[in-house]
Amino acid sequence: MLLTPEIITILTLDFIFIFFGLIAFVISIKIVKSWDLNSTSQAQYKLEKQSFLVSTIIKYIFIVKLPLFLFFIFTADKLSDIITGAMCGAGVVNSVSFGSSMFFYKILNLYIFGFWLVLNNYDLKKENQPYTKYKFWLYIFGFIFLLTEVYLEIDFFLSLDVSKLVSCCGTLFSAASKSSISFIYNIDKIYFVYIFYAVFLFLLLGFMLKNSIAILLGNISFVFISIISLIMFFGTYIYQLPTHHCPFCMLQKDYYYIGYVLYVTLYIGTFYGVSGAIMSILEKRKEKFYYNVSMIFNTIYTLIISAYPIVYFIKNGVWL
Amino acid sequence: MQNKINRFLLDFSVLSIFRRGSKNIFIFFVFTLLIFLLSSILFISNSIKSELDTTLNELPDITVQRLQAGRAINMPLSRVDRLLAIEGVKAVIPRVWGYYYFANAGVNFSVVGIDSFEDQYRDLYSKLCDKFDFDRLKKDSGMLVGVGVKKILQNSFYGDYFNFVKPDGGLTKIKIDGVFKGDTKLESNDIILLTSQKAREIFGMNKNEAVDFVVKVANPTEIPNIARKITTLYPDSRVVTKEDLSISYQNLFDYKSGLFLALFVISAFTFFMIIYDKASGISSDEKREIGILKAVGWKIDDILKEKFYEAFILSFASFVTALCLSLFYVYFLNAPLLKNIFIGYSTLKPAFDLPFAFDFQTNAIIFFLTVPIYIAATIIPSWRVASMDADEVMR
Repeated sequence: MLLTPEIITILTLDFIFIFFGLIAFVISIKIVKSWDLNSTSQAQYKLEKQSFLVSTIIKYIFIVKLPLFLFFIFTADKLSDIITGAMCGAGVVNSVSFGSSMFFYKILNLYIFGFWLVLNNYDLKKENQPYTKYKFWLYIFGFIFLLTEVYLEIDFFLSLDVSKLVSCCGTLFSAASKSSISFIYNIDKIYFVYIFYAVFLFLLLGFMLKNSIAILLGNISFVFISIISLIMFFGTYIYQLPTHHCPFCMLQKDYYYIGYVLYVTLYIGTFYGVSGAIMSILEKRKEKFYYNVSMIFNTIYTLIISAYPIVYFIKNGVWL
Repeated sequence: MQNKINRFLLDFSVLSIFRRGSKNIFIFFVFTLLIFLLSSILFISNSIKSELDTTLNELPDITVQRLQAGRAINMPLSRVDRLLAIEGVKAVIPRVWGYYYFANAGVNFSVVGIDSFEDQYRDLYSKLCDKFDFDRLKKDSGMLVGVGVKKILQNSFYGDYFNFVKPDGGLTKIKIDGVFKGDTKLESNDIILLTSQKAREIFGMNKNEAVDFVVKVANPTEIPNIARKITTLYPDSRVVTKEDLSISYQNLFDYKSGLFLALFVISAFTFFMIIYDKASGISSDEKREIGILKAVGWKIDDILKEKFYEAFILSFASFVTALCLSLFYVYFLNAPLLKNIFIGYSTLKPAFDLPFAFDFQTNAIIFFLTVPIYIAATIIPSWRVASMDADEVMR
């Protein structure tokens, strides 16, 4: 167990999240069980008031969680200085077996909580509050995910050991590693580039046609293909090193913190895309604002990430 | 999620803070003080760490000590040759140094013995050897002292010489040849520099012994390998590399500021309770205000938003004020009182300046531990206020 200031900070905020999350959870269960907008009973009136508390709490958790997630990555990066063998956040996160699933939950929760707020916004605008039950069901699941995330995070910090030797990203992200994704290293990396641009074109097409289903599927696959192609192909151009496949090192100063820019634009782009598409389906009208934001940020991401290989090619005249 | 910031609501929040001036001033004052304390501690810790990091670059690649029964004892000089025989070792420098307790002032001096013809293991010493005439130092067996030492000696009326008491009770009188200043005061304030021959005399050490060896390695990537070879060659030695030191510094400082932070978290939660209590107790005026707002058409959401703005403005203002105050306190006033937590019990407290070290990460920590906690404390009270019924409160 390490008692660094960063870890204490994160744990303190985790504690606050759980405390308030629990209050919201209890209220959500009550609402899901006995919400009836047509009823004029005292109980329903009380629930209506309490639903505002839940939305305030969720807003709070989401607003604090967003920068805290960046801070978590930053902390993992800093811890790599004192953990033997680790050279960036990847080594630290993967020093425990559940490191990547913790990360998965963290990202998933950002999407869920963000989407909750979108749903809430639509819900409150309508007089008959059509989404109330949905959003509280969503929160009940979201809270379970949040608990899982915090549990994993605490376990993660507890099992950090300065004297234990961990792997650096160079071995974690290579064909030699035995992880579940290592098989993709045997596939020619140029296919990932094709798929990446194909998905982007698909997104663009969906955007032009304003087709909600296409945008929804496009954005979901865009998240995954972006990260995979970043590891497999684009990352190597950021590092200008054909063997370096790390999604974490680009968050460091040596690469001008470009990773933060990339991940934040990717998050905004896909988040707006997914939630806009879902809302369009639910509302049965096109949510143009969401689509525009989504397309702008996805395009920015694609432009930045494409610039790396192109600039490399112009400078050196060869591909890596 | 078109939650645009409403300028009028913001305006209303600011005015609302001023309307309840006395209550908010109290909160602002206590909160600022709390953040100030926290940020000062973290700034000092950072600053000292950055100072030590610059020292670290000067430190030897490998230090070899000899252990007997778990304690460090003197090294026989005969080992130098065998260490030199290891491939990749550029130089092996035996060091003669130690602490001399000056009972009169209750302080420890760091006594360092050097020979100018040797390859120096620290830039500071080789610079000094160039600057001061080492031959003179040798001829009239004088010494060079740090600024702090000079001051302490002067207080005991040792103007230009000092009598060292040897282990056997005899005295060694040594002239002060000069005073020097180091790049970093922390390391050079308490130093006395003299010839290693004299240092051995003061400590009562054998001629063919040294306190420890410093090993210089030509290629830094070979350091771990050479360190391992030394341990195999002499199993009784403790081999410390530069990297080991760097990691242990980091751990030590993280531990010290972590410990303080753990205490801080307790006080932050106490504060949380105070805020909660303060925000829950609403005056009848405030109640009427909410009632009127609701009557003119404000929704629960609007009042919650207004309360959130209020909490954010107040806490963020405290945060910024406290940050400015502690920057001033730490880097202009040199953090009186609080600095001692980190410098420790070393009796010759070097009066050094804290170098400016300001990083994003520390500020992020301070921010996350203060502003979100404050806002969290106001969530439930604000909701209670906001969900009151208009007719009920205006009655």
